[in-house]
Amino acid sequence: MSTLIIIDQPPYGSWDGREALDMAFSLAAFDQPVSLLFCGAGVNWLRKGQDAAKVQQKSIERNLSAAPIFGVEALLADSDACGRYGLAESDLLEHAIITDFGPELTNRFDHVAFAG
Amino acid sequence: MISFKTLHILNKPPEHSRFSLCLAAIGPEDGLLLTENGVLAVTQRLAIHRERCFALAPDLEARGLSAHLSSDQTVSFDGMVGLAASAQNVISW
Amino acid sequence: MPERNNEGFLESAEHWNPKVAEVIAREDGINLSDNHWEIIRFLRVFYKQHEISPPSNRLFVKAVKEAFGEAKGNSIYLMQLFPGTPAKTACRIAGLPRPTNCL
Repeated sequence: MSTLIIIDQPPYGSWDGREALDMAFSLAAFDQPVSLLFCGAGVNWLRKGQDAAKVQQKSIERNLSAAPIFGVEALLADSDACGRYGLAESDLLEHAIITDFGPELTNRFDHVAFAG
Repeated sequence: MISFKTLHILNKPPEHSRFSLCLAAIGPEDGLLLTENGVLAVTQRLAIHRERCFALAPDLEARGLSAHLSSDQTVSFDGMVGLAASAQNVISW
Repeated sequence: MPERNNEGFLESAEHWNPKVAEVIAREDGINLSDNHWEIIRFLRVFYKQHEISPPSNRLFVKAVKEAFGEAKGNSIYLMQLFPGTPAKTACRIAGLPRPTNCL
């Protein structure tokens, strides 16, 4: 069973997204195919150059970079949202792919769930 | 540093309903300070003069957005207190 | 010894050094060999890059497999080096925070 987890909340503001990331890691740990889609303000999770030391948090960029190692299949970014936030693929962390959020994408997964 | 009639402190991302409410409420003598998720606004075109728009530096750094704003528009926690103290009143959105 | 929490994990990863690792390992009855050090160094680099410890045993095994291949990236090998809960034992010796999903 394949799962798509959608994160549409901005990084650092709440713990919902972090919990979704934990869920993705847990599915990957049990070799369940899982991908993450970032849309809305969520695309800011993928922006390169984050330094969260002064807000006393771990860098989401660095946490996310472990996803491919743990077996998360894809880090997807909605193209409309990337446009709104001025993000080109070169601004995104390695492995992130810009794609279109819509039925064509969601139909490829058995289970689609939003974070939070 | 210019002082403001009202300092609007906005910590909501552009998707939040309070984001546009806040922007609509900014008067000609007011200032805007972006904090937390509000700093994502620096990626958008805002209808506010740059001399009246500030963002909290640690929150910009966390989100990889430091390069989006010139250094005279970024403030530290101390600078934030200074801004708030110099305004006649403060609205936290 | 630098400050540690009630489960023996260092309060700060910066206060770690190889001597500290040896002391913690001995508490678990482990004498550190080259094979242990290889994994400990790997975990420290992993933490530096990703700011997390592998959150569970399974993900610990996956990460080691990705770095060193099947021969070392398997639970039996890691269990022999770091008895008990390998991810937890190894992170404690490496001076890293407790893996979040290890009981």
